[in-house]
Amino acid sequence: MIEIILIIFAPLIGGLIYGFERVVRARMQNRQGPPILQPFYDMYKLLGKQAFIVNPYHSILGIMHFVTLWVVVAFVILGENLLYVVFLHLLSSIFIVLTGFSVRSIYSHIGANRELLSIIAYEPILIMLAVGFFMLNGTFDIDAIRSSSSELASMFFLFLAFLLVIPVKLKKSPFDAAEAHQEIVGGVEVEFSGVFFEFLYMAKWLEYVFIYSLLMLFAGNSILLGAVLFVVVFLLVNLVDNSTARVKINHLIKIVLSIGLTLGMLNLIGLSYV
Amino acid sequence: MQNTMAIVFVSILAIVSLSHLFTTIDVLQASLPHLFHNIFMFIDFILLAYFLWQGIAKKHSLVTMFAVIQMLLYTYVISLSPTLLSSDILVDKVSSIMYLVINIVGGVIIIYALEYIKSEEFSKFKKSGFIAMLFLFLSVMNFIVSTNNIEIFFMLFELTTLFSYLLIAYRSDELSNNNALKALWMNQIGGVAILLALVVSITKYDTLYFDILIKNIDSTYLLPIALLAIAGFVKGASIPFDKWLLGAMVAPTPVSAILHSATMVKIAPYLMLKLSPAIISSGFASITITLIGTFVFFAASMLALSKDYFKEILGLSTIALLGLMMALAAIGSEESITACLVLIVFHAISKALLFFQAGILEKVNHLKYVKEINGLVNHSPILVFFIIIGFASLTLPPFGAFIAKFMAIESIATEITRNPLYVLALIFIALGSVFLTLLYFKVVTKLFAKDVSSKEDNHTPLPKLYMIPSSILVSLLIIGILVSYDMKLLSSTEIIVPSLLIAIVPILFVSVLFKKAHRVKEYHCGEKDELELSMYYFAVSDGYKKIITAVAILLILILVVGAVL
Repeated sequence: MIEIILIIFAPLIGGLIYGFERVVRARMQNRQGPPILQPFYDMYKLLGKQAFIVNPYHSILGIMHFVTLWVVVAFVILGENLLYVVFLHLLSSIFIVLTGFSVRSIYSHIGANRELLSIIAYEPILIMLAVGFFMLNGTFDIDAIRSSSSELASMFFLFLAFLLVIPVKLKKSPFDAAEAHQEIVGGVEVEFSGVFFEFLYMAKWLEYVFIYSLLMLFAGNSILLGAVLFVVVFLLVNLVDNSTARVKINHLIKIVLSIGLTLGMLNLIGLSYV
Repeated sequence: MQNTMAIVFVSILAIVSLSHLFTTIDVLQASLPHLFHNIFMFIDFILLAYFLWQGIAKKHSLVTMFAVIQMLLYTYVISLSPTLLSSDILVDKVSSIMYLVINIVGGVIIIYALEYIKSEEFSKFKKSGFIAMLFLFLSVMNFIVSTNNIEIFFMLFELTTLFSYLLIAYRSDELSNNNALKALWMNQIGGVAILLALVVSITKYDTLYFDILIKNIDSTYLLPIALLAIAGFVKGASIPFDKWLLGAMVAPTPVSAILHSATMVKIAPYLMLKLSPAIISSGFASITITLIGTFVFFAASMLALSKDYFKEILGLSTIALLGLMMALAAIGSEESITACLVLIVFHAISKALLFFQAGILEKVNHLKYVKEINGLVNHSPILVFFIIIGFASLTLPPFGAFIAKFMAIESIATEITRNPLYVLALIFIALGSVFLTLLYFKVVTKLFAKDVSSKEDNHTPLPKLYMIPSSILVSLLIIGILVSYDMKLLSSTEIIVPSLLIAIVPILFVSVLFKKAHRVKEYHCGEKDELELSMYYFAVSDGYKKIITAVAILLILILVVGAVL
């Protein structure tokens, strides 16, 4: 029952995290910042706007991106197969890439390109993460992973690799090349407006829920450790976001892959001797 | 008339191979009378003589050399007479699945070829010959997956080499001839490897039958297995033997389709499956072949990223996936064998579908290169639909090839706990599969730019004999989803949910028109230039290519040396 409620409210939870993040980031910069419910005010405003569409493909694929992501989050909450979740998440990314290419705007194309390229960066690390959990628990089942004790110590290197993935997925500096508002005016977002942009906006919130619920897997069955992990990683990601400049997309791939794969490989080899 | 006959024949083949799958006999064994062996021997000598003649006539020293070597070795093999005998024909479940692939997918390709060859400028006789050769090719393939005798296997192996040589040279211009000769000498290496394997097998194990060899194999001396595996690598066009399959692209598209999906290259994973009990008897052979396979998967996917020729992209992705299949067969657990079979079947369907579209692009739209296919959705939405389904079926849930990839990672994850070297294989698979996704959707995105101002009526219609085979393959993919649901390869939610998600999209396209929304033009930010839709290239430098080849050769050498020590 609690799972169903969680799934239904998943976008709202993501929205709250996002609002909270804006407050935290503002405080880090010594600003007042918007209220915590600002994302929902934005949403309300967007709903009142006149919807413009460029072509039906574009809008439908954007909506599908949101829907698929919601399904992915539901699978995580229901405790399905972790490796499968990683690949289903790929499907949602493919939808957003197709969205970006279904219009003729150059910014949209560059954004979609970079989205596709950043898949190279994070996907292998997510797969290795899933394999790491498999080696410790003998199964990809998220339920089983959540009910066993914390794996943070034995998967510490993979945890570090996962930390690299978070800013890529959440579009945080230094790895926010796919969105890059200053250069490519938001990339794939550029052609969305009104209610259709709302779906994309909410998909971003779901991305938060997805990535932080993967983070929670490291805590296993310890709720306290989960809370600590969330707070520490949340602050760390925002601190880094506030204090770094964006890197180019090819540097993003090189940095994330070289460091991430090495860490992951060391960790998996270590696990195979345990 | 001719077409109807061909179609009827194809349907009969399909029905027979289907019904064979459902017969209850587990293993069918039979021996051939002595007369047949003499005929086979005769065919072998004729074949080798033909290769020799081609080598001399075309002044190709490698072909000549390999033909001579094969003749000498073959004579030597005949002079040895092993005493451990078994049955010549052995049909098991793996063979019956291969029959399905060969006859159904191959049959669909022949139907497609009927239309394709019509538009070529050849004499009527040569066109009929083309279709006949495709049929013969299928029959050889059917035989090769039924035989248990390595000597007969050798003859059929050489016959597939002959057919690929003739079909690649079909257009008989200079490029075709050169590429055909390249395919010939590379495949001859495979023939030499089989003959050497035969010599070793007879002298050391006193048999020329697969089943006895596999049963009696000494896990410290795997030389015949390693040699047969090399023959597999050659047929599967694994790096460093990849050049011939890419050269084969000059042939008419149905040839590429049939080579890549239903015949010939599928010998590679089939052979590995057959040898897999012997391979896994020694952990060393298992890990080495797994590493070779996964490395090829990774390297070929990476090389494909820098290609622009549509058929070449498909070709390299075939090489990559064959590598994965061979790796799966070499791991040899029950799960990985299932994954391998699933991948063989669905790769055949998806690749045939994609090659069909490549052929249609060439014939109807006169396009060959990915850079030219901007906004194809405006002219041929059906073609674009087929291409997207083809690529999606190779990467995304709930399609068969995805399930195989998923199971591959699962079985490698299990192996890592036993041997940390499998971590490398895992990294190769993870990177390779991401590269392939990137590659496929790099192509798809090119098709996709919908032009708002374009009218709906400039659609190019497709001939019936193009539409029907493609639709059959798409429905096979959908049947595949049902079968994998039935076989419980994934849990039912894992299959149903993504199927629904993917199915919603076209339904929404058709039904939702966003009546209330205002249509606008895209954001151009004041640019006056006509927008050239950008596709990114990944140049793989020659240095890297050399490293890749060197690593592949090194791994194969390790396999051979390790098999003896």
